[in-house]
Formats: sequence, structure tokens, C-alpha cells
Amino acid sequence: MRDGRHMHEALAEIAVITEASWGLGRELALALVRRGISVAGIARDPFKAEGVLAITADVREPKEVARAFGEIRERLGTPTILINNAETYPDRDILDETPASFMDTVQLNLGGAFNCCHEVLPAMVAKGSGRIINVVTFADVSPAPLAAGYSVSKGALRILTRALVADLGDRFPGIVVNDWIPGTHQPRRGIPDGVDPAEAAEWGAKLALLRQPEISGRVFLRDREHNTPISLRGRVRDRVLGRAPVRIRL
Amino acid sequence: MTSAPASLPATVGQGLAARAAARRWDVIVIGTGVGGGLIGRRLAERGLSVLFVEKGPAGYRTEGQYLRTDLSDYTARQARGFWPTPIETRISGERPHRFFAPLGSGVGGTSVFYAAAAERPERHDLETTNAMVHPTGGWPVGFEGFRPYFTQAEDALSIRGEKDPLSDLPGPRLAAAPLTEAEEQMFRDLRAAGLNPYRAHEALRRLPGCDDCLGRKCPRPCKMDGRSAGVEPALETGRAMLLPNCGVEELVEGQGSITAVRVRADGRDYLLEADAFVLAAGALNSPNLLLRSTGRNASGCANSSGWVGRGLMFHISEMVALWPRRGSPVVGATRALSLRDFYTHDGRRLGLVQSMGVATDFGQIAGHLKGLIDRTRLRRVPGVSRMATIAAKIGADVFGSATVLVGLIEDLPYQDNRVEPHPDDPEIPLIHYTISDELKARRALFRQLMRQRLGQHRMMFLNFGPNLNFGHPSGTLRFGKDPATSVLDADCKAHDLDNLYVADASFMPTSMGVNPSMTIAANALRVGDILAARLSAVRRKAG
Repeated sequence: MRDGRHMHEALAEIAVITEASWGLGRELALALVRRGISVAGIARDPFKAEGVLAITADVREPKEVARAFGEIRERLGTPTILINNAETYPDRDILDETPASFMDTVQLNLGGAFNCCHEVLPAMVAKGSGRIINVVTFADVSPAPLAAGYSVSKGALRILTRALVADLGDRFPGIVVNDWIPGTHQPRRGIPDGVDPAEAAEWGAKLALLRQPEISGRVFLRDREHNTPISLRGRVRDRVLGRAPVRIRL
Repeated sequence: MTSAPASLPATVGQGLAARAAARRWDVIVIGTGVGGGLIGRRLAERGLSVLFVEKGPAGYRTEGQYLRTDLSDYTARQARGFWPTPIETRISGERPHRFFAPLGSGVGGTSVFYAAAAERPERHDLETTNAMVHPTGGWPVGFEGFRPYFTQAEDALSIRGEKDPLSDLPGPRLAAAPLTEAEEQMFRDLRAAGLNPYRAHEALRRLPGCDDCLGRKCPRPCKMDGRSAGVEPALETGRAMLLPNCGVEELVEGQGSITAVRVRADGRDYLLEADAFVLAAGALNSPNLLLRSTGRNASGCANSSGWVGRGLMFHISEMVALWPRRGSPVVGATRALSLRDFYTHDGRRLGLVQSMGVATDFGQIAGHLKGLIDRTRLRRVPGVSRMATIAAKIGADVFGSATVLVGLIEDLPYQDNRVEPHPDDPEIPLIHYTISDELKARRALFRQLMRQRLGQHRMMFLNFGPNLNFGHPSGTLRFGKDPATSVLDADCKAHDLDNLYVADASFMPTSMGVNPSMTIAANALRVGDILAARLSAVRRKAG
């Protein structure tokens, strides 16, 4: 009975991925399609991807996001998985930022994710389950030059993940939210290339299908759980008491 | 299985209170715990119009939160259905202490967080028997008066379990879920030690995929509580309405009866009117509402006896870690077990022992030992708390995971043990309580008996001092025959008022040796029948 129910749910998964027109977003969409899941992709400009319902919308605009999700609900059904992947990396010196350009980055990287969460949460709450993955970076830990708006907004997105867990985690343990740092990035001169998006997408697809309530709020780096470093004393204590943390691998 | 659970409105639109105020109800029920929920259901099923007024939210039906004591923000607590403020205790010999008690405030009240333990009391809990004199001379309604309602409450709450071999009480009609092999072994070991374990009585429908939901909200209509067995079926009759997020400020008293309740909702006051009013806000808040309703009497509504808020009782909990015998499998977390071998001893009132549904490993025992040490002078000795960790670690390696049993000891009523609204903030229940010498003596006896009888297994008490169960308050609006020493009559109607009834744990003149939920439910159904018969008779006369 129980297994049957889970199978039924697995087949009924409907995933939404933002910025699905290229790179990691596109690969994630295709990886989930290969797993038999209904996938809708949102992007600012029209695009095509095999087996993906392509929706054009600017995630910075709440009204456009509402329209996009209305269309997804109509054509595929109620989303059960949301991957907030849309981001901009303006590569801009802070002396060249204007208040408008800075807040535009925030509006896409943070606001876009919140706009999409706002659309999927009511149905997830009504069902008591759902899956949200925010694609993030460590940019907030030590901001690189030319990345003020990016580091601030992506750092804030990580806080949004934790805030979602703080508000929902105890009441709706079935809504599982994670940060994921895929290790991919837009190629830039002078910076080594990141992980191949097609490879990262396989990890991301597996992560999107993990539903264990206990993993909610944990951070995943590439293909495994990222544990915050602990002190030597802490490590010795854990070893003595035999409770070394178990890392989840995707 | 796949059908959606009966759902409550998640949010309240503006104007619900205005709609409720626009008509006169047959009955207004204040509070929606086990008592309020079940009486409201009974009244609605008997054809009466019922308005539930609930201070807390309806909540989302898929919620699964535990009752947290680490969250202090008022609004965050309120949103989760926890009583939003701390309580303050002034216990004899201790400094005033403010903390969050395991109390709910929302549809289903505290019951949505309970462990679904619902057992009948014994005859001597309600009246004098050959072996035991009742401390109040007996409840105004005796065991036989309650008996049919225990059966009805067991049906309403889908109680399953097994007959207690020590008593002539009937077992529940529904059989308990099968035991695991390790649990079977634990039962056999206890029987070999001369004890009489039986399958605990639980209010769980055990729907497929049942997750036990001990101490947390059940996301499906599986755990039976004030919400699933009370408010939801009441709403299904079409004759009941729920007004959540609506705190009652005052009962408005007219000539010998209550005319209305003044509530606060959507930022303004409303008067809600009914023919009869049922108070079921819990044994701390029902009396406090009466004490705050001073329109006619400075000493509070229905308080000519001076007993409103007095006679407050809690149970005392004794927690014991019990390790399996050598060679026996580890049981770990189980809630399967009850035993009444310590229920009484030589005519003295003790209480029920149950498995708590938690396992304890060294981490918890270490944390527990540290907590105990922190409360003693030992805390100043450097390294002591680390020693506790090591001691617990060694214990855990040797003994493995333990099952935790909790014994409860009946508390007896004293006039000076009482609750009142806190002068700083009327939402905070202020509790004055003295732990009596006779209670301490019964506690010592209980522990001694447990040590003797469970001793050949491996056991460890997890608490040193007396541990009051603040989730089990009762007695603060006691029912009795004499209006000078009780607040309610045998029908649980206020002596002083013609149309005010009580359906929560406040009515109990004594706290019994079992968890209160079954008796609250049975009494709510009983009072519901009385009130429905009365209102129907008035109608027939008028019609």
C-alpha cells in the first residue's frame, strides 16, 4: 500500500525549472524528462527543448510568473518540484553599479525565486508535500570582485532556503527544501571552467527526487551533501562517541 | 487512502465573526479540545445549531508539527496552534518560573498534540469502594453513571487496545495492532516478573501508513482528537460553524444566565448570543475566563463558592528507562504497553504506567543527566557534565537502547492550589501550587514499588524531583452536590447560572490515576445529552 502510494506520487511529479532555455537549466529539464517526469521550463525568451513544456516569462515580474504557473497548472497539472535556477551574473564593478542595476540583479536572483515559491507553496501546503531546490553558490562567503549584486542576492537566496525551513519545516515536514551548489558557471575569461552542466544535471535530478524530510535545509555541493567544517575537538568527540556525520551522496 | 482528508478552512475571511454575531445560536462552545469538540459534535448531531469559538487558528490539515517549547514568538506560536504565551508557576519553596507548557490553542486544542492515550479510570477514581475511600466522598455522578459514556467515547475516538487483566473493566471493542517480536518479548519478560502488562488503549484509527503522530499534529483523520472526532464531524452535520482566531474576552452575565460572549476578532469586539454556553477552554483558561468576567461580581462569574480556579491538580510523572533483559531484543520506541500493577497500593492512590513511545539512547540520557546536574550544586564542579556524558556512553554501550516508561501519580485537590489570570498579562495563566507531603509520600512509595517490581530488568529513573505534568491540568471548576464547595452541579451546569455548562477537564473533583482524555470525552458526551434534551424539551413546549 505504502509503496504503491509512493510509486503513484513518483509518476505524478511535475517539475518546474527556471531559466531552462540553456546550460544547467536546460540539462536539468532534459534529465528529469528522461526520468519520466512532466517538466515545464520557464525562460525570458522563447526556446525549445525535447519533451519540455516551454513557457516564456520574466521571473522578476510577479504577474508574469503568476500567468506562467497558471499555464503550467492548466497544461501539466500542479507542480510538485520547483528548481529555482534563474540567475544573472552581471560581472560589473561596484563603481559601475547604479541603484537600478544592483536591485535588478536582486530582483532576478532573489525575487525570481521567491515569486516562484509563492506560486507553488499553496498547493504544496494543501498536499503536505513538495520539493524546492534553490541553485546557489558560495559567492556570499567571500564575494569576488565584480560580483556585488550577485553575491548579495545569491547569499540572500540561501537565507531564503533557511527561512522557508524555519517557517514550514516543523509544520510541513513533507515540503523538502535544499540549497544546491552545482559547481557550474558561465564561462568567464581568466576563470577555470566549471562542471559540465550535463553532468551536474544528473546530480540535480537525483536531488530533486529525494523526498526524505530529514534532508530539508541541508546544503548540497555538486554530488554530495556539504557539511560545514567542524573543529578538531568536535571531530575527536564525534569519533570517540561514534557519531560521525553521515554524508548523503547523490 | 487517496481520498482527501476532511479539510478545515485554512484562513478566515473577514467578516466570519460578523456572520456569527448576526444570528442567535442554540449553543456556543468555547474551546475545541477533546471536551469542546465532542460536546459540539453531540449537540450538532442532536439537531442543535452550534458555534465553536476558538482562540487559535484552524490550521492547515496537512500540518505535522510537534508542540514546541523552544519557540517564543507569540504570533509564530499562535500560527502553529500552541498556547501563545508562557505559563507562570509559583510552586512552594521555588522562585516564580515562566515557561511554555505543553498546551495547545487551535482547533483540537491540546488534544491534536497528545499521544492518543485514552484509558478508562477505575471505579475507585470516581467513588468510594470497599477497598478505597474517595477523598471527596465521590463524584456527584458515579461510575455507573459514566459507564455508558465511556463506551460511547471509545467508539467516538476509535479506541483500540486490550483488556487490563487486573480489573473487571471491559477491553476496547477494537483490537490493537500486532506487536513486534521485541515487544512480545518485553511483555513476556514483564509477565515473568509477575506484572500484568496489557496493550495500551490508543485513539488511532491506524489508517494505512499511520505514523503514530505522538506529540504532533496528525496530517490525516487517523489520530482521533478534538478536531478529527469532534469539530470535523460536527461541521459535517451542516449545523455547526467554526470561528477560529477568535479569543473570548468576557462572558456577559444577565439575570441568572449568560446572555452573550464578548469576543475579539478582526480587530474589533463582537457579542455572540446563544441559548446556552459551554465552556471548554481547558482547566487553566476556563476558570480564568470566569475570573475575568467581572460584570456582575468582582470575584468573577459563577464564583459564589469562591472555588473557581481552585482545586487545581496535575499528575506527577515518573519517567523510567527500562532496558531489555540480557539476550532479549532491543525494543526501543514503543507505545504498546500499559500496566496497572502500581495503580493502587494498600488503599493508596498511585496510577497508570505506560510506555512513552520514545526510546532513549545515550545521547538523550547524557543530555538528561546534564540537565539534572545543572539544577544542582554539582554544576559548579568542573568536568562533571563531561563525566555524565561518559557515564551515559558506557551505560548505553553496555545496555543498548532503553524503552521509556512513564508512570503517572494521581494528584489530589487542595483549595490553595489554583490558577488565576496573571496580573501582568491575563493571557498568562498564573499557577499557585504546593506539593503536599502526602503527594511526596505517595511518590516515594510509587518509586519504591517500581524499583522493586521492575528491578530485575534494568531500570533507571530519569527524574529526581517531582515532575508536574503541566499538560494535564484539571479540577478548577469542580462539580459537586454542595454549591458552597463546588462550581458545577452534577450536570456540569454552573450552580449560579442557568445556561452555563463546562465540558473540559475543569469539572473533575479528583484527577484519577489515568490520562484525562477518555474521561473528558465521556463527560462531554454526557453533558451534551443533558443539554440537548433540555433544549429540545424547551423547544417542544414553545413549538
